[in-house]
Amino acid sequence: MPKFLHTADWQMGRAFTRFETEDGAALVEARFEAIETLARLANEHHCDAVLVAGDVFDAQTVSDRTIRRVFNATKGFVGPWVMLPGNHDAALAESVWTRAQRLGAVPENVHLALQPGVISLEPERLSVLCAPLTQRHTYGDLTAPFNGYETPEGSIRIGLAHGSVQGLLPDEIDSTNPIAPNRAEASRLDYLALGDWHGTKQIDERTWYSGTPEPERFRNNEAGNALIVDVSEPGATPTVTQLPTGRYQWHQWRETLAVQSDLEQLLERLNTLPESAVVDLRLEGSVTLAGEETLLKALSVAEARFRSLRCERSGLQLAPTDEDIAALKADGYVGEVVESLRDRQEDAQDDSARDALAILAGLLREREQEAGQ
Amino acid sequence: MKLQRMRIEQLRQFRKPFVLDNLQPGLNLIHGPNESGKSTLVRAIRAAFFERYRSTAVDDLRPWGDSAAAPTIELDFEHDNRAWRLTKSFLQRKRCDLVVGTESYSEDDAEEKLAELLGYQYPKRGASKAEHWGIPGLLWVEQGTGQDIEQAIEHAGDHLKSALNSMVGEVASSGGDDLIETVRSQRDILLTGTGKPRGDYLKLEKDRAQHQLEIEELKERVHKYQEQVDRLGKLTQDYEQAEAERPWEDAQRHLEEARARYQKVERLEQEQNQEKATFAQQQQNHRLLQQNKEHLEGLSRQLESRKAELDRAEHDLSVAQAQTPAVTGRLAEARTAYEQAEKQRKLSGLLQTRERLEQDLRRLEQQQQVISQNLAKAREYQRQLEQARQQARENRIDSELVKKLRATGSQLNEETIRSQTIATRLSWKLDADASLTLNNEPLVGQGEQQLLEESTLVIPGVGTLGITPGGEELASTRRKLKALEENLEEQLKTLGVESVKRAEDRLSAFESAESVVKHAEDLFKTVAPAGLEQLVFEQSEAESELEKARKQLESTPKPDSNETVPTLEEAEAAFNQASAALDKAESDERAHQSRLSALKQARDNAKTEWQRLADEEKSPERQQQLRQITTDLANLEKQQAELEASLERREREIRDARPEFLRQDIERYQNAVNQLRQTQENRGRELRDIKVRLEAWGAEGLEEQLNEKEAEFDQCNRRYEELHRRAQALDLLLHLLTEKRQALTRRLQAPLQKNLNHYLSVLFPEASLEVDEQLRPGTFSRGTELGLITELSFGAREQMGLISRLAYADLLREAGRPTLVILDDTLVHTDSDRLEDMKRILFDAASRHQILLFTCHPEKWQDLGVPPVDIQASKELGT
Repeated sequence: MPKFLHTADWQMGRAFTRFETEDGAALVEARFEAIETLARLANEHHCDAVLVAGDVFDAQTVSDRTIRRVFNATKGFVGPWVMLPGNHDAALAESVWTRAQRLGAVPENVHLALQPGVISLEPERLSVLCAPLTQRHTYGDLTAPFNGYETPEGSIRIGLAHGSVQGLLPDEIDSTNPIAPNRAEASRLDYLALGDWHGTKQIDERTWYSGTPEPERFRNNEAGNALIVDVSEPGATPTVTQLPTGRYQWHQWRETLAVQSDLEQLLERLNTLPESAVVDLRLEGSVTLAGEETLLKALSVAEARFRSLRCERSGLQLAPTDEDIAALKADGYVGEVVESLRDRQEDAQDDSARDALAILAGLLREREQEAGQ
Repeated sequence: MKLQRMRIEQLRQFRKPFVLDNLQPGLNLIHGPNESGKSTLVRAIRAAFFERYRSTAVDDLRPWGDSAAAPTIELDFEHDNRAWRLTKSFLQRKRCDLVVGTESYSEDDAEEKLAELLGYQYPKRGASKAEHWGIPGLLWVEQGTGQDIEQAIEHAGDHLKSALNSMVGEVASSGGDDLIETVRSQRDILLTGTGKPRGDYLKLEKDRAQHQLEIEELKERVHKYQEQVDRLGKLTQDYEQAEAERPWEDAQRHLEEARARYQKVERLEQEQNQEKATFAQQQQNHRLLQQNKEHLEGLSRQLESRKAELDRAEHDLSVAQAQTPAVTGRLAEARTAYEQAEKQRKLSGLLQTRERLEQDLRRLEQQQQVISQNLAKAREYQRQLEQARQQARENRIDSELVKKLRATGSQLNEETIRSQTIATRLSWKLDADASLTLNNEPLVGQGEQQLLEESTLVIPGVGTLGITPGGEELASTRRKLKALEENLEEQLKTLGVESVKRAEDRLSAFESAESVVKHAEDLFKTVAPAGLEQLVFEQSEAESELEKARKQLESTPKPDSNETVPTLEEAEAAFNQASAALDKAESDERAHQSRLSALKQARDNAKTEWQRLADEEKSPERQQQLRQITTDLANLEKQQAELEASLERREREIRDARPEFLRQDIERYQNAVNQLRQTQENRGRELRDIKVRLEAWGAEGLEEQLNEKEAEFDQCNRRYEELHRRAQALDLLLHLLTEKRQALTRRLQAPLQKNLNHYLSVLFPEASLEVDEQLRPGTFSRGTELGLITELSFGAREQMGLISRLAYADLLREAGRPTLVILDDTLVHTDSDRLEDMKRILFDAASRHQILLFTCHPEKWQDLGVPPVDIQASKELGT
């Protein structure tokens, strides 16, 4: 009763831009932890093998340290691992894999599918039909030869491939590395383990994308899982269990503020997010000076709470109300300047005017506070 | 604000109370000599406002030596239609009370109220100084500081602006200037004066560029790495394929085949060359035999041609010999013709000589005849000449004298006639027998006589009658007549003639003879110009010449008249022709002779040659040789034909084998083998190189580095963008703030400028004084003069200072603020003319403001039109 863990798209060696250094480092670290998590889950679920459907590495030239750390992280599971080169780590004449081999970093229980063909895991009665990428991009279906691969009687036929299933995934017309949608059936596969799509996705009852075990982008597509696949006997329908593996959840919100309650609602929603959130906020619309003060305070609190919080406010106009201005005691020509900045901000969508208004409001507020003490 | 009354007590020299009453709303002139307390009054007013009532720094107010004094000042004034009373005591009794209408304020409240009203501030501790005085500092001028307007305005600064707020409609901002300074300092952290980045901003900009550069570099290296990986893939594939196929072995096999074929062809070519050499030898041999044969056969042919030559020479000689008689005949003919022509020519010459001699003879005869005739004529003319000369000699008379004679004769005739007209005429007719005697001459018959002189007529019988002709002229006429008659007689005698007529005849005969002489002489000359003797000589000459010619003619032979003789010219021509013909005939003959001998020689030579050859031709050795050669030649030709066929056959064989292509094939296959092996070796070497290189590069983790670098760049860029936006925003903010503030200042400037111009026009028509942004009088211009106020003379500065203060007072009044102008001994450096203008200005200003003018020179201000207040007098009045 063979059982295995299906994962893909680890993208090891990726660095995260658009984050503070510290946050980026934490996100990178989480990816190594994800491998360890996979090993742990494989043990917990008594899996016979772990199949990685491509893009273990984010690039060919990652550092030696990264290569070693990746293989070290697999140590938790001593059963066989089968790793398939994907488009990021294709099995070229010289590749991250050949380097790993030269470094002696590949443990004996890790099988590298550098050639198209069948890897037979005899004791486990698993025949893994591999379709590695040996070029960066291919335009033909690399899984086509599966039809002709013979496997021992009584072993489970599992396809391992990396690419886009034709006609099923959005945004992939003319995409490279195509895979026929009926590959599992056509090649008499018990299961087709796919990589490339970073979210967990079922194509048919025998064909799945496992998705990446740790999310690495904001697009919300069900990332952060691994699949436990149980095939009772050759030809039986596999039982697929989806297990969460991700540490951080990535959120990207685009909000338009118009009235006071919009802001309040936004802040409430922000409060409900867990601390492991990676948040990207983009605000538009307008806010009063008082509202902005509230927002800044809330963002400051949230920054400390979440793994990462980024807020883009350049599209958010400042709209000082008469009360705001009265509160700031912006009289005389300073009042005129406030007025003029407000007009410019509205008329010309002038970022400088918005920022200038914010600075002026800040200065005036400070002055008021000093005067109040 | 109008000060109405002032009272002081226990203050400096005013130990007793002193009251200054009845102060006017306009100008007040307060005077007193030095030490009279004028300055103390000014100090008292200042102290009342500026000094804190509890100040310990006002000892100067204490009367000298009076430690128990409590200097007190009491001021009554009106402002805003309300009565104000301020009472302030210092030192021993510190107190301040202010009553405004019905409201009362005391101590600090009172003082704050006053400060707010007038616009000044109190010192935190110690005595009040200029910087605390605010607006009053500007309007209350202390002795000798009237020109220091700038400081006063600076101190008045904020008070002025807030005081003027109402004028410009609440546009000034409380603390706006501090705000500008804050914004400016924050902006200056990021930007330079000209708006270029500085500090962190600048550093980020540079870092960002550096990061970008590094990223580009890394990308380039990654790109290279990937290229090398691709190259490695391609090479590996090629290498393995080549190892499997081993294409160089194929090439090697082809090479060897080509070599074998080529060797075969080479052998053929060698044989061909040998045979070609044999063939060439045979050809040479054949040529030699042929030559020999031709030589032998040539003898007969030569003999024939020699014979022909001999025949030709014989023939030529005989032809030439046949021509000989003709040539000789032509020579003889030419000689005869020549002689005949020579004879003819001589004959013609003779004939011509004779004709010339005959002609000469005729001419000489004619000449001789003419000379003879001339001689005869000459003799005749000679005779005629002698005859005429004889006649002329006989009749010679002086023609001049004859002419004179003729004139005398005619004059005498005229006088005679005249005398007859005037003479008394006596006519008579007497009877035949009667007679009379007149002057003793008898008169008979009939007659008439003219009487010129007294005459006596005797009539016989009768007596004598006396007659006296009348008229006085008669006498002179008679005398003249007589003179003329004598003269005529004289002349006739000289000439030797008896009458005038006779003289005339003789002259005529003489002249005619002279004429004949002349004529004869001319004729003579025509025939004998050289004289008669010459002519005779000529005649004899001609005679002898003639004789000589006759003799010559006779000696010349006379030609035969039967013979026709051509003219000399014709004869000459014919002779020349004949001579030329003879020359030609002679030369022809000579040429003929020499040709003849040459031909003879040629004929002899030809004959010798022919003989020699004829002998040789007939020899038997030659016949034998000829037969042998003919046989040899036939053999040789047969061999050659065989050889030629063989050569051609082999040539075709070689050609069909294409040796040049075979050579190229060998070269090509050899190259291919080398190149294929080399290529494979190169591949192997490059593979090793690339592997080594990729291992090194791969170890660097380029893409991971790139990722990290991009993250760094992103952070740097984010920070940069933040600062950039902040810089832009601060710059904009600063710009807007200063712009708005300047606009405000400009709104205050205008009315101040207006007021200033109002006063300035009185003092300096045509001049202008600009107010700057700090509301200070700045540039002064008058005509072409242009400069700052501080550059003017002390007097002028003082005047400018005063009018500026008055302008400010006007501005404050327009803003509804209190204005009180206090001038302590001002304008002491002003001359009388300028002072006059200043008085007009002061008088004008006093219509709007209360002015207290303190002076110790009241005489200068007499014409101010207000009653002066004498401190001394008031003091005495008070006591």
